[in-house]
This record gives sequence, structure tokens and C-alpha cells, in this order.
Amino acid sequence: MATYTYEHTPDHGAKAGVLAYLATSAAVLLLMMVFGLLMRLEQAQWISIGADRFYELMTLHGAGMVGIAAIAGASVMWHFLRQYVDLSSRIFIANLVLFLAGVVMILGSVLIGHFHGAWTFLFPLPGKSMGMWSPGAAALFMGGLLVIGVGFLLLHLDIARAIVARYGNFARALGWPQLFGHDDGKAPPPTVVASAMVTIVNVIGLVVGASILTMMLVNLYVPGFDIDPLLAKGMIYFFGHIFINATIYMAVIAVYEILPRYTQRPWKSNKVFLASWTASTLMVMFIFPHHLLMDFAFPKWMLVMGHVIGYLNTVPILVVTGYGALMIVYRSGIRWDMASKLLFLSLFGWAAGAMPAFIDGTITVNYVMHNTLWVPGHFHTYLLLGMVTMVFGFMYYLGKPDHEADDRLLDRIAFWLFTSSVLGFTLSFLYSGKESVARRYAAHLPEWVPYDRIGAVFAMLVIASSLLFIVRFFSRIGLARHDYQRAPVARAATA
Amino acid sequence: MTAIAPDRARIRFCALGALYLLLAAPPVRSWLEATMSGHMLVQIPLLAAIGFAACRLLVAHHQERLLAIAGGPIPLVVVALFASSWWMLPRALDDALAHPLVEVAKFVSLPALVGVPLALAWRRLGIIGRGFVWTNFISMLAVLGWLYLAAPQRLCNSYLVDQQESAGWLMVKLALLLFAAWLGHLFVGGPPVGNPRAVHGP
Ligand code: HEM
Ligand SMILES: [Cu+2]
Repeated sequence: MATYTYEHTPDHGAKAGVLAYLATSAAVLLLMMVFGLLMRLEQAQWISIGADRFYELMTLHGAGMVGIAAIAGASVMWHFLRQYVDLSSRIFIANLVLFLAGVVMILGSVLIGHFHGAWTFLFPLPGKSMGMWSPGAAALFMGGLLVIGVGFLLLHLDIARAIVARYGNFARALGWPQLFGHDDGKAPPPTVVASAMVTIVNVIGLVVGASILTMMLVNLYVPGFDIDPLLAKGMIYFFGHIFINATIYMAVIAVYEILPRYTQRPWKSNKVFLASWTASTLMVMFIFPHHLLMDFAFPKWMLVMGHVIGYLNTVPILVVTGYGALMIVYRSGIRWDMASKLLFLSLFGWAAGAMPAFIDGTITVNYVMHNTLWVPGHFHTYLLLGMVTMVFGFMYYLGKPDHEADDRLLDRIAFWLFTSSVLGFTLSFLYSGKESVARRYAAHLPEWVPYDRIGAVFAMLVIASSLLFIVRFFSRIGLARHDYQRAPVARAATA
Repeated sequence: MTAIAPDRARIRFCALGALYLLLAAPPVRSWLEATMSGHMLVQIPLLAAIGFAACRLLVAHHQERLLAIAGGPIPLVVVALFASSWWMLPRALDDALAHPLVEVAKFVSLPALVGVPLALAWRRLGIIGRGFVWTNFISMLAVLGWLYLAAPQRLCNSYLVDQQESAGWLMVKLALLLFAAWLGHLFVGGPPVGNPRAVHGP
């Protein structure tokens, strides 16, 4: 057995680029949350903006949230990966610039061109708007996605370059010599393993996504170039599912890097850890058909694959990470502050969010739950209480005034408010799903409205608490740049 | 990069020249141009590859000088991109078959405007630049192949629809293969490393 000891590494402040990523994410996150609230209020029949507006907001909310989740995740990954490999700041910034350019295109397409074919741009909807939007608007939307994709492709190519320069190749970066051979304890740190995995899957996903986007752009103007809708759907889900899943695999690096600093215990890249990441590298690419279980036209083997892998992939990284975190924290005398609490909470949120997906990945359940609000219930849990919470934890960590600083009462209240209101918000989705309320409906039946109202109230509380987190981050953004110890030393370590 | 001994370089240069003449010889030419796949996926890439390989045989400082004259790697990549895209168009193929002058232009421009510029730029492109050229090329190949498959009618006057379809499939398959190979190469090779934990650390 290899032994692992905690090596203290100095705590680096964030580069300006990382802060620019985080500031962008925070601002867009708040705006998109407000759009989400507006959707919920419309369904609750407390406001009436009309169905077209609803779907415009839904399109912006979906694309915007997925985009900033990727931007925020990338900032976490880049910040910590830089300790181990030489990354290019210029490419990092170029990605943000391309992202913003893409966002402008998407905003123009939706707000001016009234495109509202959802962020999943399912073929042939963008080209068949029945006069609701022009081909130009659809092209602008898909072009915006394409520009954003090119930015991320560049970023991942740079990460691939840096990893290969440092570790020789990806097999070593994923720790295969230690996984398949003797574990000499010299496997790369968790951050490198996770970044390698994300890079592989995202490069593949982005190339597939770019291909279908290009084909659909051609089809938009020359409809004679026919696309098989089933193939298009498969490719879009392949790309979309990988891209959104990768955001949490990037953000979890904050947990791997920050929690050990609180307890002076190392996060081990042992065989089990390495095996889980290697397994998920493959599985995350073949899991998407679990969304297509009711699409009888898909080849049967794909659905079987989606079902099986949907079950299997719930387990490895999540369980290994959850168990790892418990081991780091258990009897460590950890001193809880906003950062460590949020990071710990995020693992719970991730697990809680994966469960509904697991359930819905069962075909007999899927008969009932398919395309109900159960699905938004599932992904809002793991994205809000998992992914976004990791990012909030990272923000609090960067802005912590010094390692002995105590949290303000207001922040502590906001923490519990956030936790409970996100749970309330997502449970209202899940419960509606159980009651067979369809997702993506602007107008709801009278008997659904009570759940929508409960959900809308909780959504306001989610926004209020997030606003406090974000204001706190911006007020401390000057501190985030400096190098100093942020994590309080655990009591067990001082004793 | 190690320089190649001058006499070895001369032999290789002659071999490339012979290959070029072979491709230009009427029987081989009409044989390759008889099918769309042969034309697009064998003859054209080989012509570009000859230019690429020949340029790499030049003495290093000559290559540097050419690179400096051209203004660095980026303009060269752009030239190569446009020239190669041109010869991917169906009507360019038609023209080459119909007009001897276009055929000559093809035989000159593919080595000179695609192969040579790429070879010159290649030395300066880091893994990012090369990765970008590769991913761009592979996705272009895949999308173009797919377009050929999806096209509602015949795109070339000189080739029938079944030709178009088999060329399309070949392009898609080739793209998949190249992409898999590119990914695979990330997993092998590279020097062994020392302590993999902190670099910037104490
Ligand atoms: C206060 C916070 C939020 C509120 C109030 C909210 C609200 C909503 C609503 C009402 C919908 C439409 C549900 C339906 O189908 O009827 C939705 C969809 C969605 N939300 Fe959120 N959301 C919030 C946060 C987030 C976050 C943090 C993310 C991701 C990081 C996210 C990603 C998405 C996505 C991807 C969709 C799917 C859009 C589609 O079906 O095309 N949301 N959200
Ligand atoms: Cu899924």
C-alpha cells in the first residue's frame, strides 16, 4: 500500500483572469436566476408574460446557466491546475472573450430575433419556427453556441498541452500506471486526474457538438441537405450531456484542493479514486440515452446501454468523493466556516441530485416521469446544491480575510436559508414531477398551480441568499488576489 | 529537429519527385480521377503531402528565411486553409477534369500552397496550433463527408451519386479514424516524469 502524507503547499491568490471568470459567472447567474423566477411566477399565474416570452426566458436560462456553469467550473479547474502544470493565461482569457461574444450573439438572437427553440436547439425546431423567428435568429443562436464551443475547445487543447508537457501523456495523468500496476503513491494529484478526464470528454463532446451545429446551420439555409433527426438528437444529447456533466467534474476540484487544507490530511489518489475517474471517463460519454428511454425509434442497444450505464455511473466518482470527504473530515477537528461548509454541503447536494436521476433512469419509472418536472427537479438539485454551491464555497475561500476570521451572522443565516430554500425549490419540482406535471409548459393546469407558487416563493429565497453570497464575494474581491493562508488549522492538527 | 545529411536529403527529394511525376502520368491520373474517392482522398492529399515532405527537406535556415518572408506561421496556415478548402469543392473537381489549365493549377497549388506553407508553419505551431489545425481539418472532413451524404442531388457533373455517397462515407470514416488516432496519441509516449505532485510548490 502506498502511503500519503499531507504536503503543505502555499495558498495562491487568484489571477485576475480567474476573478474575471468568477465575476462573469456571478453576474450572469443572478440574472438567469431572476429569469428562472419569472418562469416560475408565470407558471404560478402570479404574472402573465405570455408563452412566447416564457420560452424566450427558458432558452436564455438554459443556455446561460449551462454556459456560466462551464465558465465557473473552468475557473476552479484552471486556478488549481496551475499549481501543477504551466497553463497559458492568454488562452484562458481568449476563452472568456469568445464566451462573451457568444453570449452577445445569443442575447441578440433571443431578445431581438425572438428565437425560443430552447438551449437544446433540437432539430428541426430551429429551422421550423412557423414564422415565430427568422432563420437569421436561429443561425445567430447556433452561431453563438459554436463560438462558445470554439473557446472551450481552445482552453482544453491548452490544458492537454500542459498536461502532456508535465506528465508525458494522458495515461499517466489519469494514473494508469498506478491503477493497473503497482501503486507507488506517485499518481498525479486529484486535480490533475479530474482535469485530464474533463479534457478528454469535453474535447470529444465539443467536436460532436460543433459538427451537428454546422450541419444544422447548413440545413437552415439549404434545407435540401437533409439531416436524420434521430442522429441529430443523439449528437445533441451526447454533446449537451457531456458538457453539463463536465461542469461538476471541474468544480469538484475545489473540494479536492480546499478541504485538505482545513484538516491537513491529503486527498489520496489511490487505486479506488483512479479507477472511479477512469471508469467515468468512459461512462459519461455513453450515459446520455437515459434521456431517450421513451424514444422507441432509437436502436434498442442504445437504450439498454443508457439504462445500464445510467445506473453504473451514478456510483463511482460520487461515492468515492463523498467517502473521501468524510475521511478527510472525520475526527479531524475541522473548523467549519462558510467555505468548508459550502463545499461539504455541495457533496450532499450532488448526491441528492443524482438520486432522482437514478430513479428516473429506470424504464418503468420513466414511463410515468418522462418529460415531467421531475427532470428539472433532478438537475436543479445537483446543479444548484452541488455545482453552484461548490463555486460559492470557492468564492468564500478566496475572499476569506484571514485564516482566523469568523463568519458574520448574516452569512451564517444565508447559508441555512440557501440550503433550505434550494431544497424547497427543488422538492417542489420533484413533487410536481411525481404528480405528472409536464416540463417546459408555460401554462399550467389549475391543479398544478399550488406547487408552482410554493416553488416560486422558495426561488425568491434562493435568489436572496445567493445575492448575499455574491455581494460578499464582490466586496472581498481585492483580497482574493493575494497569497496568504486562508484555511483555519484543524483542532486535531494543533493539539 | 535533426538535420538530414545532404545526400540522404537528395535521395528523398528524388523519390518525392518521382512520386509527383507518377501522379501526373496520364494513366495514373485518369485511374485516380475515375472515382471521386480516388480523386479527393488519394490524389489531392498525396499532392499536398509531397509539398509538405519536400519542404521539410530544405535546410533549416532556408525554411526559417521563407517563414520570415511569409510573415510567420499564421498567414501560412490561412493560405493553406483556403487553398485546401478550394479543392474540396465539387465544382473545383469538375473544373479540373474539364480544363487542363485548372488541372495544372491543381498540381501546382496543392504542393505549393497547401503542403509547403503547412510544413513551414508546422515548425512554429505549438501543440495548441497543431491541435487547432488537426481538429479543424478533421471536423471539416467529417462535415463535408456528411454534406456529401445528405446532399439532395448530384454535386459534381463528373461523378454519379453513388460515387458521391461512397466518397462521403469514406470521408466520415476517415475523420473518425483520424480523431481516434489523435486522441490515442495523447495517451502514449512522452518522457517519464519525476515527482508528479507540486511543481510550483516549495
Ligand atoms: C433561483 C434559481 C433557479 C430558478 C428559479 C430556476 C427556474 C427554472 C425553471 C422554472 C425552469 C423551467 C422548468 C420547466 O420546464 O417548466 C428551469 C429550467 C432549467 N434550468 Fe433553472 N432555475 C434556477 C437555477 C438554475 C441553475 C443554477 C442552473 C444551472 C447551473 C439551471 C439550469 C436550468 C436548465 C438547464 C433548464 C432547462 C431548460 C430547458 O428545459 O430547456 N437553473 N429553471
Ligand atoms: Cu442525464
